[in-house]
Amino acid sequence: MVDRVTSIACVWVEAFAAAAAERAEPSLREQPMAVVVGAAPTARIVDANAAAREHGVRAGIAEAEAVARCPHLVRRPASTACVDAAHRALLDACYGVSPRLEDVAPGLVHVDVAGLGRLVGDATAAAERLHRAARSIGLPARVGVAGTRAAARIAARAGLGVVASGGEAEALASVSVKAVEWPDQIAEALSRWGVATLGELAALPRAGLAARLGPAGLAAHDLARGVDDPTPWRSWTLPPFWEEAQELDWDIHELGPLMRVLGRVVERLMARLCAAYLVADALELRLALAGGGHHARTLALACPMDAARPVLTLLEHELGARPPQGAVTAVAVQASAIPRRAVGARLGHTAPPAERDLATVLAHLVTLVGPDAVGAVALADSHRPDAFVAARLDPEAVSATSDVPLDPVLALRRLRPPRRVRVVVDGDQRPSMVSGALAPDARVLGCAGPWRVSGEWWDAGAWGRDEWDVALSDGAVCRLARDLTSGEWYLDGVYD
Amino acid sequence: MTSSSLIRTGAITELVGELSSGRTSLMLACLREITGRGATAALVDADGAFDPVSAVRAGVVLSRLLWVRCGGRRAVALAAIDLLARCPGFALVVLDAGETPPRVTLGAAFRLRQAARRAGVAVLLVGRRRVAGAGATLAVRIRRDALAWAGARRAPTRLAGMSTRVRIVRRQGGSCEWSAPAETPGERQWWTA
Repeated sequence: MVDRVTSIACVWVEAFAAAAAERAEPSLREQPMAVVVGAAPTARIVDANAAAREHGVRAGIAEAEAVARCPHLVRRPASTACVDAAHRALLDACYGVSPRLEDVAPGLVHVDVAGLGRLVGDATAAAERLHRAARSIGLPARVGVAGTRAAARIAARAGLGVVASGGEAEALASVSVKAVEWPDQIAEALSRWGVATLGELAALPRAGLAARLGPAGLAAHDLARGVDDPTPWRSWTLPPFWEEAQELDWDIHELGPLMRVLGRVVERLMARLCAAYLVADALELRLALAGGGHHARTLALACPMDAARPVLTLLEHELGARPPQGAVTAVAVQASAIPRRAVGARLGHTAPPAERDLATVLAHLVTLVGPDAVGAVALADSHRPDAFVAARLDPEAVSATSDVPLDPVLALRRLRPPRRVRVVVDGDQRPSMVSGALAPDARVLGCAGPWRVSGEWWDAGAWGRDEWDVALSDGAVCRLARDLTSGEWYLDGVYD
Repeated sequence: MTSSSLIRTGAITELVGELSSGRTSLMLACLREITGRGATAALVDADGAFDPVSAVRAGVVLSRLLWVRCGGRRAVALAAIDLLARCPGFALVVLDAGETPPRVTLGAAFRLRQAARRAGVAVLLVGRRRVAGAGATLAVRIRRDALAWAGARRAPTRLAGMSTRVRIVRRQGGSCEWSAPAETPGERQWWTA
C-alpha cells in the first residue's frame, strides 16, 4: 500500500522521444536534433534535444518553423519501436536498483527506495545509483527523492535532488509553477492570478480553489504541497522476455550493414540485462522484410551470456548460414533472461570459466566448427542407441554421482553414422568373419551376444536390432549390430 | 597409474595407445575425476567418437563437459584446443585425436604448454601416437592385456571387461607438485564392460 512507502525516487527523462532517438543513434547527441511526426508541409515537432531547445525548437511547432529557428536541425521520424525500447530499458535499469517500481509514463518511473540503506546507502546514494543506471543504458535522467510521489516528481523536474521526508511543502515552496505541467485551465488561472511559485499556490485557501476550479483546483493544491493523489501504487513486474528493436530508415540488402545495425541493438539489449543483473539464456532474432514477411531465427546459447560481441558473432554466423530472403526494414532481438549467478570456486578447486571468457571462447568455437557441434549434452529419454540431446553447459550443476565410487568402465568409441559391414556367420548364426570394418577382412576371435534391443514399436519409427561384442583378428574389439528390419550388419563402435 | 596422476595443471600430458587399448576408457576416467569434483572440462573430439552413454556410466557429469565435435578436421581440432587452453576456468582440456593424430610442431607444442600454464589449464592429448614431443610433461602408453568374456565358454553371452597395462614413456621431473607415482612398467588396470 502507498502508506507503507516512505521514500520514493522519481526518475525522469526530459524530452523522452528525443532521448530515445539519441539512444538508438548516439552521434545525434552532438548536434541539434528533433523528432518529427507527419509529412511536410504539416509535419510537427514531437520532441527536441537540449541543443535544439537552446535554439527555440519546442514540441508542437511546425517543422518548417523549427528549421527556420535552427537551420542545422537534424530531424528524425518518430519511432514507436525506439520509444518502447527506451521505455523498457529505463524500467530495467531502475529494476537493478530496487524491485518495486511504478511505470507512470514513458520516461517517468517511480522507484521505492525505502529499505535500501544497507544495500545501497542513503537517499542520495540511491539517487546517484539510479542516475548511473539510466546513464548506463544511454538515457540522461534526472532523479528526485521525497516522501511522496508528487514531491519526488517535482523534485526531479526542478532539480531539487533529495527532499527530506515530511518537509516536502517547505522544499517545494520556492519552485516555479512552470516546473509542473498543469492542465490548460489551471495554467491560465495561475497566470491570471499572478501565482509564480508552488509556495504561493499552496498558500491559497483550499475552499476558494475548490469553489473556483473544482476537483482540478484541489489536485493542484495537493500537488503544490507535495501531497499524493489517492491512486494506489501500480507495481511493475519483470517481463519474461526482453526485447530491443529498431526500425530502419532504408532497406538493408547485405549482411555487413545489417550486422552494424544489429550490433547497436544487441549492445543496448545486453546493457539492459547487465543493469538488471540478468544474463541471456536464449535469443530470438526477428527481421521484418520489405515484402511484408518476417525472417525469424532462434539461438539457444551454449551458456548464459551478457556480452554483446560473442552474441553478435553467433548472429553473424546464423545469418550467414541462413540469410533473410529479402531486404530488411526493421530488426528486433528478444532475449530470454535468467538471473545472473555468482560463481565461485570451492576451497582447493578450480573456479569455473568466467561468463565473459566462456562466451567469447564459445563464439570462436562456433565459427570454427558450427553452432551444432559445440555445447554440453544430456542423455535422451530413449533406449535408441546413441540417443542424446543438446544441453546447456552448467558448471554449477549438482552432481548426484560425484561421490559415488564407480568401477572403471570400458568406453565405446562411436562411429557416426554406423558403418555398414559384411558379416559371415557360422552354423550357430554367430559372426565368424567381418569385412569392411577397420581392416578389409578380419576373423572373429571371440564374440558375445546377441543382445536384442528394440523400441518405439508402438509408433511409425519402430526399430530393433541384435547387438554383438566381437574381438577381431586386427586387434579391435567392436560392437556389431544387425538391424532386425533390414537384416543389414553395422559397426556401431569400437571398445577402447 | 591413476587418472588423477595424469592431470597436471599447466602442463601437457599425452596418452597414447592402439585402438581397443583402453585409452578412451582412461580418458573418461580423467574426465570423471575432473567433473566429479565440480570443475569444468572440455573435450575436443576430432572424429566425433565420444559416447555420452559410456561417459555417464563412467561417472562423467555431462553438464560440466563442453564437447566440441570437429568432424574429422584435424587443423580445426588443433585450433579449438589452442582456444580452450587459453581460457582460464577449464580444469582439463582434452584433445581426442583418434587414429590419425595431427602433426604438431615442437614450437606449437611449447606454445600450447605456455598457454596452458598461463591459464592454469591441464591439457591431455589422446591418440594413437605421440604428437607433442618434448612439449609434453608426461606421456604414457596403454596397451590391452586381456579380454574377459562372461557366459558359456563356447558361446559367451557378453563381454565382461578388459585389462590393460599403462607404462610411462616420458616424464619431465623437477616439480615438487608432481604427484605421479614412480615409473612402473606395465601397471595393470581392469575395465568393466
